[in-house]
Amino acid sequence: MRPILAIASTTVGEAIRRKVLLIILLIGVLFIVVAPGLGILSARSETTVLKSFMLGVTQGVSAIIAVILTVYMIPNEIERRTIYTILSKPVQRWQFLVGKYLGAVLSLLLMMSMMSAVMCLMFFLQQQSKNVSEIADLMKGPMMYFVQMCLLAAVAIFFSTFVAPLVNFFLTVGVFLVGVFFNPLFQSLQDNQNTVPFVKIMAKAVNTILPNFANYNIQNPLINSNPSIQNEGRYFLGITVYGVVYIGILLILGILIFDRREV
Amino acid sequence: MKRKTSPILLVVLALAFICQGLLQRFEIFDHWVKVYNPGKGKLYTNAMSPDQLLAVLAGFREITAGILWVKADTFFDQGNYDAILPLIRLVTLLDPNEIDVYATGMWHIGYNFTDEEQRSDRRYIPSALALGKEGTRQNPDTYELFFEEGWLWYHKIDDDYSNAVDWFKKARDKPDMLPARKNLLGMAYQRSGEVDKSVDTYYRLYEDAVEKYKKESAFGNHQNRDTLESNLDNMLVREVQRGYVAGKENRPLTSYDVNPPFDVGFSVKATVVEPNVIRFEGTWNVLPVGTRIRVVLRDLNYPHAKPAEMEWDCSDNVNLDPPRDQTFMQEQLFVRNRRFNKKVDMSKDPTMYPFTSDNYVMEFYYNPRSAPPHLQDKFSWSGEGLTDKNYLNTDVRKGQRVIFASLPITRDMIKRYGQWVDKTPVVKTPNYAESAPDAGRADDDVVLKIPSLRAGSTGGK
Amino acid sequence: MAAAIETKQLTKSYKARQAGTINVVDHLDLHVEEGEIFGFLGPNGAGKTTTIKMLLGIIYPTSGEGYVLGKEIGDMDVHRLISYLPERPYYYEHMTGLELLKFYGSLFGITDKDKFVALLEKVNLHRDMTKTIAQYSKGMQQRVGLAQSLLNDPKLLFLDEPTGGLDPIAHREIRDLILSFRDEGRTVFISSHELSEVELICDRVAIINKGVIARQGKLTELLKGGRIEITAEGVSEELLKDMKIVDSNVRHLATGFMLDMPEENDPNSVIDAIRGQKGKVISVVPRRKRLEDLFVETVSNKGVKS
Repeated sequence: MRPILAIASTTVGEAIRRKVLLIILLIGVLFIVVAPGLGILSARSETTVLKSFMLGVTQGVSAIIAVILTVYMIPNEIERRTIYTILSKPVQRWQFLVGKYLGAVLSLLLMMSMMSAVMCLMFFLQQQSKNVSEIADLMKGPMMYFVQMCLLAAVAIFFSTFVAPLVNFFLTVGVFLVGVFFNPLFQSLQDNQNTVPFVKIMAKAVNTILPNFANYNIQNPLINSNPSIQNEGRYFLGITVYGVVYIGILLILGILIFDRREV
Repeated sequence: MKRKTSPILLVVLALAFICQGLLQRFEIFDHWVKVYNPGKGKLYTNAMSPDQLLAVLAGFREITAGILWVKADTFFDQGNYDAILPLIRLVTLLDPNEIDVYATGMWHIGYNFTDEEQRSDRRYIPSALALGKEGTRQNPDTYELFFEEGWLWYHKIDDDYSNAVDWFKKARDKPDMLPARKNLLGMAYQRSGEVDKSVDTYYRLYEDAVEKYKKESAFGNHQNRDTLESNLDNMLVREVQRGYVAGKENRPLTSYDVNPPFDVGFSVKATVVEPNVIRFEGTWNVLPVGTRIRVVLRDLNYPHAKPAEMEWDCSDNVNLDPPRDQTFMQEQLFVRNRRFNKKVDMSKDPTMYPFTSDNYVMEFYYNPRSAPPHLQDKFSWSGEGLTDKNYLNTDVRKGQRVIFASLPITRDMIKRYGQWVDKTPVVKTPNYAESAPDAGRADDDVVLKIPSLRAGSTGGK
Repeated sequence: MAAAIETKQLTKSYKARQAGTINVVDHLDLHVEEGEIFGFLGPNGAGKTTTIKMLLGIIYPTSGEGYVLGKEIGDMDVHRLISYLPERPYYYEHMTGLELLKFYGSLFGITDKDKFVALLEKVNLHRDMTKTIAQYSKGMQQRVGLAQSLLNDPKLLFLDEPTGGLDPIAHREIRDLILSFRDEGRTVFISSHELSEVELICDRVAIINKGVIARQGKLTELLKGGRIEITAEGVSEELLKDMKIVDSNVRHLATGFMLDMPEENDPNSVIDAIRGQKGKVISVVPRRKRLEDLFVETVSNKGVKS
């Protein structure tokens, strides 16, 4: 366990010093800070636009950070030969991979917490908030996005055990987009009377097999507060368990590949 | 030297994989569809630019909707109405909770597509209604779109008022319904011929308003109470005046009431004065101003057509593409001094009046439910005081006595092709009497001089 | 003495698209004794780093066997007893020297701060231990690398091009450190193509070329076969003819001559002969064989095995 934690904390230390990530984070925070000014886009639903924009920025920036952070993680270690000094110590490869992943997750937690804190603050200032529970409600978004980003990071780490960073970037972004888009597409396929049964079955298979990122896009009822949601806690638990299980699968697969790989 | 894989690990992997699939299939997905599915699972059309699509993908659905809506506003200013339609569709898909966009969109689709003479394009109305219905499905907890849907029936379609009643009732039952807007349900009941329910509604609203004013003596509450009081007064007077009370109590109707029914003596002549330009002239024996006779000129086989209207509520899907190769013209003929005479110019708007098929029908229709109160005092709510030797009809609108006449016309006549190049096509009812200039008018008729802001104007053209 | 490293027919091959299978390391038999500094020499691309990576278990051999400290390669227990300094390594630049040691130490479970400081003192970095690696010079980075490689008190160190890209003073410092490792009883396996370094510190060397060991043995033995130059005056032509021994060259100088002869042809008898003639010996200079000569000879003349 100790080597995993050591590698994870080093990874965090490195991540929070990467200029690219910091700049992206800064841009995200800036966007959130100017968000209250965008209320003019909608005549009376200022809060709607504010929430939508803040959550959108948080999610988008987190996704970019998650991908950039993780895509280069393993290849950089190999290119800079740091991995050799680590693997020549009594560190198993799986410990290295898990440590790196854990580091990515912790870095994401740190950066997303920061964005969320700014978001809370701006929302509070803008609303002069009478309603603390509304802010607490809003935080459900970043919380579920965090699970989403952990899953995204696992996808990137998995791919990074066998493809080059650039390819990995497109693969990961592709899987993310498919994962975000497939639910609505799948749903409209199911609803459509004219869909061929074979296509329906295939769609169901893909929807069941691929990591489903759309599950975590829970912002609609948050943006337009909808009191009629039932079983919210159960749903959140469900998608969190789903995320953890899927992350486990990706990490195990990644380890199996990484273990056989010549670095 | 190859690494060996532990079989336990593979089993764990397989189990985990099955586990995630089961979770997704049986635990998560249905809930997601119910609660979190944006835009009813439709994919956004290709009407967005790539950067907007990217913004949507990145989660900025509402903000993109906002930007698109701002853009739509500039199109409004430019009068570029066609460009607004896809935007409305897109904005409501992106952000199904943009109530304003639904409401504005319905109004826009229903009212803004007009020809050069400001006749609106009725082919769009089913789309406007469908957009409203979608809006109510997406926003079932607020009264607004239910109210808007009712208003479209009440004001724009101006017929089949029971539909307006249904929607206003739904709007009334929402917790956020504005008290003043509830009054419209009373109006809709009245126009729908359900007089008792109208009075009931007003009574109930009046009691609420009195209560509310007692609790809080704000100006708005005061005003609302007074309005309701006056509405109730009017209704009660009208019930008596129009013989409604007598009818209910089985008392004989007096001549002061709507008895005997008044013969309106409808006749009409349609003359194609130029290609795609038709003059409608005719008679209507009501002296005062305020009668508007509906004329519809449409394809004989116009989809979902009904007598003097169409099945407005024929679609649940917002289809922004009306039947563009078909024609549905609807206009009002204003009666002044027992005559109407109106030139309808359809030559400048070929997209609205394409006239591509061979056969058309002209329908003339009068329904006292849409009439102003002074005419309703003569005809009553359902036409009890109305009759016509030739064109009284009790079938085209159930439970109502209306005037309805239908005349065929062909494409060749409208466009003045073939034999009609030199010969002016005329289609008329058999009872139309040709005696210029005051044909159909009895010699001893009084001619009302109606003051007008326009100098020298005293009546029909 | 037991073998620190032993390989038998160790082979690593890659499939190339056109050339078919290429043996980067070709049936390698290597033997390194405990406690010696072993030089693993070869031109770039000869297979040096590949061999080390196989010995460390970072890549897997295609065939053959290898043992490190008596255990089969890839055994995680061995990793506690060895360390590796890769060629031109990079360290997490945001860390200070001390933090770097803490990080690597934690991989072994070592948390003793005094030990870290002592190691930094050993590599003469204790004054700079709070500076970040980014502020270190190349030589300092290499030294901190050596410090981390000593964390686990290793029995066997793999140093891949330890002096590559350093200035002469840094060379000197690294060289002294490596020599001190031997004094502490550690086995050091140095891979290098910088021969002058290796010549100065190694006990035994192996020369690898195109994946094949060309020569392996004690440096003193491999460098046998030097020559001796004798310069003399006042010696007659006859004697000179007599002295024309196999492999000797004679050059006439203004006042005498210079004789260049192999070491193994007894130089004493030549000197005696000159003196017997009343000649005057001006200088006797031994010209030793250099590793560079051996290397060039070996690499350009492959197939010769010692």
